[in-house]
Amino acid sequence: MKRRALAGLTAVGTLAALLGTAGCTDSSESSSDVFTAIQTNIDANAPINPYNQSTNSFQGYNAMKLGWPKNSLTDANAFYPGLAASWTETPDHLKLTIKLQPNAKWSDGKPVTADDVKTSAAMSFSQGGGAFAVAPGAAGGVGAVKVLDPKTIEFDQSPGSSNNSFLRNVLNMWVIPKSVYGPQMPANIWDLIATATDPKASDKAQSAAQSKIQALGKKLVEYGPKKDVSAGPFVLERVNPGEAVLVKNKYFFAADKIAPSKVVLKNYSGNEQIWNYLISGDLDAAIYTATPTNVRKKILARQGNTMISGFSPVAASLAFNQSVKPLNDVHVRRALAYLIDRKLTTRIGESVGGTPAQTTTGLISDAAKAWIGQDAVDKLNQYPHDLAKAEAELKKAGMHKSGGKWIQADGKPFTLNLQVPNGFSDWIAGGKSIASQLTDVGIATEVKTSADYATYLSEIAEGKYELGFWLTALGPATYDAYARLYGPSNGWNQFGANVRHSPAGKNGNWMGGAETATVPGLGTVNPGELTNQLAQSDPAQQKQIIAKLAKYSNDQLPAIQLWDYTNIQFVNTTRFTHFPANDSDVLRLYPGTWMQLGYIKKK
Amino acid sequence: MVAFLRRLAGHLVRGVVMIWIVTTFTFVLIRLMPGDPVQTQYEKLLSQGVSPDQARAQVQVTYGFVPHGSWLSQYGDYLWKLLHLDLGTSVSAQGVSVTTEVMGALKWTVGLVLAGTLLSFVIGVLLGVVAAMRREGHVGSVLSLLGSLLHGIPQYVMALVLVTFLTVKVKAFSTGPVDGLLDPGFNGPYLASIVSHAVLPAVAFALSSFGGYLLTMKSSVVSVLGDDFILASELRGIKPSIVFRYVARNALLPLFTVLALSLGFMIGGAVFIEHAFNYSGMGAMLIDSIGNRDYSEMSGAFLLITVAVILANIAADLLYSVVDPRVRREGAGA
Repeated sequence: MKRRALAGLTAVGTLAALLGTAGCTDSSESSSDVFTAIQTNIDANAPINPYNQSTNSFQGYNAMKLGWPKNSLTDANAFYPGLAASWTETPDHLKLTIKLQPNAKWSDGKPVTADDVKTSAAMSFSQGGGAFAVAPGAAGGVGAVKVLDPKTIEFDQSPGSSNNSFLRNVLNMWVIPKSVYGPQMPANIWDLIATATDPKASDKAQSAAQSKIQALGKKLVEYGPKKDVSAGPFVLERVNPGEAVLVKNKYFFAADKIAPSKVVLKNYSGNEQIWNYLISGDLDAAIYTATPTNVRKKILARQGNTMISGFSPVAASLAFNQSVKPLNDVHVRRALAYLIDRKLTTRIGESVGGTPAQTTTGLISDAAKAWIGQDAVDKLNQYPHDLAKAEAELKKAGMHKSGGKWIQADGKPFTLNLQVPNGFSDWIAGGKSIASQLTDVGIATEVKTSADYATYLSEIAEGKYELGFWLTALGPATYDAYARLYGPSNGWNQFGANVRHSPAGKNGNWMGGAETATVPGLGTVNPGELTNQLAQSDPAQQKQIIAKLAKYSNDQLPAIQLWDYTNIQFVNTTRFTHFPANDSDVLRLYPGTWMQLGYIKKK
Repeated sequence: MVAFLRRLAGHLVRGVVMIWIVTTFTFVLIRLMPGDPVQTQYEKLLSQGVSPDQARAQVQVTYGFVPHGSWLSQYGDYLWKLLHLDLGTSVSAQGVSVTTEVMGALKWTVGLVLAGTLLSFVIGVLLGVVAAMRREGHVGSVLSLLGSLLHGIPQYVMALVLVTFLTVKVKAFSTGPVDGLLDPGFNGPYLASIVSHAVLPAVAFALSSFGGYLLTMKSSVVSVLGDDFILASELRGIKPSIVFRYVARNALLPLFTVLALSLGFMIGGAVFIEHAFNYSGMGAMLIDSIGNRDYSEMSGAFLLITVAVILANIAADLLYSVVDPRVRREGAGA
């Protein structure tokens, strides 16, 4: 009996060892020219269609754009060439002429032509939004697309607006092969687009055309070719659940720059999965990854793992619901800005990937300095951690201190609920630090956690929270950055080239700020109007507007900027070298694009 | 036979009604969840460092796939499609039918949890018998303690411990998906890769589950050992191995129901384990669909779990009468 049991155990052990060994000998490790990276949303059932949200076309690998945006502090229109070799735009942004890469070919050997780009533009119209909004007079919309020759194409901005986002929205377009997608489109697609976007067309004709395009858009986005036809450096070979394999495209126009013969993309749905892969040394590159200090140490302990970092045009802020008393009083908001120690909060909340905000301007610190200068930023209120100044502001708001607690003018104690979403460890830790700091000085603050991010976003939009974390300063486009503070969430919605303000609680306005406010040195300012002007201004004009908006934001504090994010990435130099350096302007792009630009070489 | 068929028909009718009630309940529950799929996707992309321009372009298309209209019209549409075995189209994987998504994930989960459940059942039953037979000695005490301890450790803790020690510190096993560089199909390396990726999650499942079976089996065996027919068998000098068979057959009956229900629950039961091992099954799909507020996928997944549990209940009920003649006789008598 004992012998049998022993034999059984031995057999089980042998099997486990064999299986374990099989599991360890991933081909990705044995083949030195296979590049392994991570990707979210890999779905074996999804179509090979870059317009689909859950796609098996992967940016920079087998999905190509006309250009690749640089990570620039001030120039949102700075791009690296993609399938476009070069481009020229008229100063009024109305005409954009694009020359395609002369040697660009699809993986079936056919050349990439201007007709492919025009088909891609039709596809973009079918999906709507940005420069391809199917609405008459849409700000920054494409008015006409003209093929000038097989390798040259012209985009005209629709009359009535001169939007500076036109170039970047067009260059950001996915390029798909006409030979594959053209047959899926009706022959009159451009007539439909013309009618749907023509301000002179009757409402009935416009509406009918828009409905047809919308229905077509759904059909087109669901469509996926059986075989990948890629103009990128790789072609999709297969997708298993949770992993995609791509092989090098011999027809890629810069194939000589591409070192790996294959790319394996591993799916992830949470940071922990990336950490495990990194600690095990399985990944050659992992894009932006949030890591606590202890995890970072473990990752860097693995041979070959290296960290690269650069600026990220994103800031974490504490946003106010200004329709709630006493947060409607600017003195209270200023008092809180003095009471919160941003250095301490950043050290606790985001010690690895965050830099304490110098002050609140609406832009990350480096971008603010680049736009309006170090002097101008230094002259703004820095809101240092200063209890005396906070006390003075609270007294201006009619409060007094009694028994160690701040009491409002109506006799109620001043307390706060600070909301954070579950799963955002940096916000939760930062929030707890702030709550502790405020409670210590007599403002009892409780951190409340929403079930998940979707719930958080929904409830914050409904005005259910008085104080919560909010991403701000989203660059590089200054319009995008200020629209976080003076856009729909604070009552300003775009209608064509103009904006209209809705009162608190209406049309998504949960921040509840005043439509105008008087700021010393500026007079009465409508920040939503100024923000909207940013979309249609040249850099010199933007500079003046930003100076005003920075001052306004600093004075009125719709949110307190806590920290600027740092873009932390990890690469492994055991198998490949020549990765981008710290602060490189390609750090927001995927490794497939890095390869196109000449990075990543075999060791 | 007629009585059996009548019982089966009754079970099926009740099952269909239950499925309809649960389907309606989950339909409402899902729509009561706060959160907008488009806004959530957009903000998630921003938090991952994607620029607003790119994030806008990426989520634009999602809007067309979010169910619109009144709840009543959505419900009517949902039921009509359901009657045609159509679970709808995924919101996050546009154009992909929920059936394809669910079935794609299901095969991985069934393999994993079936192996884990059977493993935990076999280990639990065997050790439960030993614990009962040796209940007066150290072996019985140690096994009971072990069962209680492991039963008390949540699955995700067990999974994290195994991930940390056996995939990160010692690279004995792999996490994540099956090695994509291997040719998929019925070939040795690919099958070995599938098994090697499933071994550890299955072991995690078994380790955190067998304690329950052990304790139930022990208490059941102890109870049966005190029955008169065991005493009578011993007094009649029947061989201990045959007596053991009597004990096992009778003691197993309560566990049979537990096992059948566990198999029903297995479809949605490995959420934490799948997440910890980055295993692409139903649990991972369910978590993603909830995070993305993908109403169609959530409905499809919940429906499948409901159907599985109800069918397992029916199967347990019917098969119980097969394995326990007393139930059969009582049924006939009634």
